[in-house]
Amino acid sequence: MIFLAMRYLLERKRQTLLTLLGVFFGTTAFVVVSGFFAGMQGYYVQQLVNNGAQVHIEARTDYLTEHGLDRDFFGPSPLHIFWAPAPAGVKGFINVQNPQSWYKRLDADPRVEAYSPTLSAAALFNLGNISVAANLLGCDPNKQAKVTTISDYMMAGKFTDISVGGNRIILGDELMKQLGAGMQQVVMVSVGTHPPVPFRVVGRFYTGSRGLDRQAFGSLPDVQKVNLTPNYINEIGVRLKDYTEADELARSWAKLAPERIESWGDQNQNIKSIFAIQNALRFSMIITVLIVAGFGIYNILNMTVNQKRQDIAILRALGYDTFDIIMLFFSQGLLVGICGTILGLICGYIVCRYLQTISFLQTSPSNPQGHLHIALTLKIYLEAAALALLSTSIASILPARSAGKLTPIEIIRQGG
Amino acid sequence: MGIIAKNINKSFGTPPVHVLSDISLDIKDGEFISLTGRSGAGKSTLLYVLSSLDDPTSGSVEIADRDITQMSSDELYRFRNQKMGFVFQFHYLIAELTAIQNILLPAMKFNEEVIRRPRAEMLLEQFGLKEKINRYPRQLSGGEQQRLAIARSLVMEPKYLFADEPTGSLDTTNAESVMNILQDCSRKQGMTVIMVTHDPDFSKLADRQIRLADGRIVP
Ligand SMILES: Nc1ncnc2c1ncn2[C@@H]1O[C@H](COP(=O)(O)OP(=O)(O)OP(=O)(O)O)[C@@H](O)[C@H]1O
Ligand SMILES: [Mg+2]
Repeated sequence: MIFLAMRYLLERKRQTLLTLLGVFFGTTAFVVVSGFFAGMQGYYVQQLVNNGAQVHIEARTDYLTEHGLDRDFFGPSPLHIFWAPAPAGVKGFINVQNPQSWYKRLDADPRVEAYSPTLSAAALFNLGNISVAANLLGCDPNKQAKVTTISDYMMAGKFTDISVGGNRIILGDELMKQLGAGMQQVVMVSVGTHPPVPFRVVGRFYTGSRGLDRQAFGSLPDVQKVNLTPNYINEIGVRLKDYTEADELARSWAKLAPERIESWGDQNQNIKSIFAIQNALRFSMIITVLIVAGFGIYNILNMTVNQKRQDIAILRALGYDTFDIIMLFFSQGLLVGICGTILGLICGYIVCRYLQTISFLQTSPSNPQGHLHIALTLKIYLEAAALALLSTSIASILPARSAGKLTPIEIIRQGG
Repeated sequence: MGIIAKNINKSFGTPPVHVLSDISLDIKDGEFISLTGRSGAGKSTLLYVLSSLDDPTSGSVEIADRDITQMSSDELYRFRNQKMGFVFQFHYLIAELTAIQNILLPAMKFNEEVIRRPRAEMLLEQFGLKEKINRYPRQLSGGEQQRLAIARSLVMEPKYLFADEPTGSLDTTNAESVMNILQDCSRKQGMTVIMVTHDPDFSKLADRQIRLADGRIVP
């Protein structure tokens, strides 16, 4: 029957071509649009996952609510307690409790790639008569470089320079400009009401993200000293072997210690919901295109079934059964669907490869050419093929079934 | 053996309009039968019932000792393909296929087009269509188209040939050549031929003439 189906298709080339184009455009659109969105989302996820830690273990301080201290003062089930005035403040610890046990736990966990204990402090940077408030982060540069990509963004100096000798810092590009500082200059750094301490600028980094570029890095002991909190850390950044396990690990670790534990996903909830909306839009748009393509096939096949009533009658009389007749028309739709899908996948791939080469985004250190990020994952192509073939199959089986129901006798009696 | 019809009734619609009433027939293998009668007498209806294309309202049809009204649809389609040939007033050739492809259409059902090809070519030659083997139906005359349709009905070497006014749309010369072919099938190849016709002269060529009037056989 395939043979006859092909003859039918070739006999009405224009219609065949038009229906094929419908499927073709649908599939191409799916591949390109999905590639674009998935690429963009993947890029952002990579940025989030690589630029910062994947799991954050932070000292926990909770804001006090009106009855937040009731239990501490009046036992396990206090009733009718009125404060005048209500307590205000934070409860908890400003440093990670018992970091040694964390180190042991992280060292033993095979899913952990690396971790880095840090102490961050709100500091005031002074140079001449300019003073700028910014975050000062103390870390072990060797460990920090394994957890985040900060060392890739060094514009001057090396990230490890802060651990050589005392009181050296690396400034973000933005902070450096605000201070008007140059390399090797000495900047006065003070935390809270503690006396200022001189630091030598030994490096500059530029990530392209304002928030990050307004930070400063120092070695962990130096920052602990400025903060007058020797041995304190307030965060441990963890990098995992598989970043998708972050949520699960964060949940299970949270049960073990009082610290607040958040995955990269927890810290970027808004991005996840944006992704979900993007995906919903993408799917509804593409499904619309494919439904339109499906309707094209459905219409034309229905028309063909009507035009070919006499052929159906004679085939029946010659011994072709219902299944043969269904296949005769179903295979026409399916052939168009398969060709359209294959061409669409190929064309989609070519368009994706082309889009990858054009400079579209603003350039940044992580993306020096400003190229679009287009995903070329197999999953997209399989999804596109499955959707296109599903819609063409549904569109073809309906007219094919109605053709299978025609009996030869009615048609022959009417003389066609 | 042969075709045995017992007490066939056929009615259409509600309230039922009786088109065939209590028809019993015994057709021997190799017989050439003509069905005649006025328009509306029920000739076509009887032919379709005898040839399994239509079901009787009641009664049974046996072909080669098998009740075709009781056959499973698989068996029936195979039986039609292998044992029955059909010729209609209109040729019902498939416009997208060439002459030879049209003839081989029944053979394609069970992938026999290669072994049937010599016979198809022989039939084309016999019917004077040898030069037109690769033509499409629209490139043939009415008579040629009808001969092609007969060739298609003969390619599987059927035992039973059913023809409904095969000469109905042809001029005298073409009609005569079609009649010669049908006579040949019966006389030389021993096929059982049942033919509906309006033409008294053609009707006389048959071994037996059956006349219908108002859905009954006229004795
Ligand atoms: N599907 C149907 N519904 C109702 N009546 C029908 C149907 N098919 C046939 N008839 C009636 O049955 C009768 C016999 O029809 P049939 O086609 O067998 O006649 P016929 O002898 O072949 O006539 P003709 O020589 O004109 O071809 C006619 O009166 C016709 O109107
Ligand atoms: Mg008739």
